[in-house]
Amino acid sequence: MVSRRGFLGGGAAAAASGVLGATGGAYAAGAVGAENLETFAAKRELAFHGDHQMGIEADLQSVTNFISLDIKPGSNRASMLRFMSLLTDDIFRLSRGEPVLADPAPELAIGAARFSAYVGFGPSFFEKLGLESKMPTGFGKLPKFKVDQLQDKHSSGDVLIHIAADDPVVLAHGTRGLVRDAMPFASVRWVQSGFAHTPGMVPPGITHRNLMGQVDGTANPKLGTADFDKVVWIEDGPSWIQGGTLLAFRRIAMQLDTWDQLGTSSKEEVIGRKLSNGAPLTGDIESDIPDLGARHPNGLSVIPEFAHIRRAAPENLDERIFRRPFSYEAGISSAGSVDVGLLWTAYQRNMENQFIPIQRRLDELDLLNEWTVPIGSAEFAIAGGVRPGEVIAEALFSYGVRT
Amino acid sequence: MRKLALILSSLLVLTGCSTKTEVLATDMWVKSSEISTAQGMTAVYGTLTNDSGDDIVLTGGRTDLAEIVEIHEMAMISGEMKMQEIDGGLAIPAGQSIQLEPGGNHLMLMGLTQDLLAGDQITVTFSFRGAPDLVVEGVLAKPAEGGDEEYHSTKTDMEN
Repeated sequence: MVSRRGFLGGGAAAAASGVLGATGGAYAAGAVGAENLETFAAKRELAFHGDHQMGIEADLQSVTNFISLDIKPGSNRASMLRFMSLLTDDIFRLSRGEPVLADPAPELAIGAARFSAYVGFGPSFFEKLGLESKMPTGFGKLPKFKVDQLQDKHSSGDVLIHIAADDPVVLAHGTRGLVRDAMPFASVRWVQSGFAHTPGMVPPGITHRNLMGQVDGTANPKLGTADFDKVVWIEDGPSWIQGGTLLAFRRIAMQLDTWDQLGTSSKEEVIGRKLSNGAPLTGDIESDIPDLGARHPNGLSVIPEFAHIRRAAPENLDERIFRRPFSYEAGISSAGSVDVGLLWTAYQRNMENQFIPIQRRLDELDLLNEWTVPIGSAEFAIAGGVRPGEVIAEALFSYGVRT
Repeated sequence: MRKLALILSSLLVLTGCSTKTEVLATDMWVKSSEISTAQGMTAVYGTLTNDSGDDIVLTGGRTDLAEIVEIHEMAMISGEMKMQEIDGGLAIPAGQSIQLEPGGNHLMLMGLTQDLLAGDQITVTFSFRGAPDLVVEGVLAKPAEGGDEEYHSTKTDMEN
């Protein structure tokens, strides 16, 4: 008789002996494996300095905190520059897996784990500081959409610090450091925590699944391409925003109790894609271009008129966004309803030309709206990249200020 | 132009191989202090590394923001941890580092001439016996608590 435990053990032994020839011993194979795992998770770093802030043009990390802050009364450009000086130093160190200065728990700096953080500013920030003239083009409060059921506790804010990493302890430690240094300047308005796949679950560049089961983010511009630059990174306007981007943040609750009552074909028609691999209903693989004109023999559209991908499809090439959505799970009711959804993000050069027209079409007609409800919303202008020796958003604050 | 100490120190590491750097300052910071300027005090922390072949002694320092700069240690005095000036300075043997840290040795700034606000950057000069002065720019003021430190002087007794 082969016990299940024995069978699994045998399988593992076979796998190890496969490595044996290459490394010269079973013990060595185990040791190398563990070391490689550590290298993979802990040692991977994202670059802090560059043309853009970090953590946007990057594969999703596994855990994230969006932290929205309201600045203190009496804040001015000089105090904001001091605020940004602290955050700049902290983020640079954390991105290298190092403790921040004055870290009360430096032993928690155990590896970079692709730590990233970037900083952005909400419309209210510019009003409070009298910096309206420095606001980017196509940026402001989003219009109200019919589908919205927004809650104040999940919405708005003066300053966003968006932190992410591949390890929850690294995330928690980094979050503590950044929030600690924000406290002389601001109070926390809200924190929204989310997650995506653990590294290794899907190959880099492959679209993740959301908690409805859909592959989410298929039509995104590809990282590291000129197309990405054109959709996301701002080239003109006030110098502080050049190399930056505009973020439309939406907390989107999923009504899984009713969604889970649908069958597979109904779910696929709501989206217009196959659940199995994300291919459009008119194609075979995820990267196939949806044929919005295709019809069944009975004359009905293969991708229905109400389907999400039809309504979200850009009407012109400029009307595109880069989505980088994390999932959230915020509890389970006594009746077993899960409070889950997306911390949905759209990055773009101009919200008026990109996110807003797409969202207007979805607001008019998108059957997916039955099961997805925006309950939080915020807008942030993300400052451009940081060169060595510079402070994040320095150009927004430094003119005419004693340094 | 605002320069952060960390940037300078990492550039030193990158470019400093050919120059003969005798003493290196890394991870320098100063505790922010928004108390009244007349009696204000705070401290500078970080790592000093003696890269020379000779033993040296940290004897003191200077900064535009403080009238008095002393090297302090935490010591048990009458059953209480208190800070006091180190007589004769702090030795840094050849090839070794010393840590200036909350709850331990530190460069004490007394008689602050202005508030030192969180996020300010100051310049601190360290003086040694056996090595030239070391000027460190961009020492960042951190809103830190920790190290069980209370700042006392003989004339005043104030909350930090």
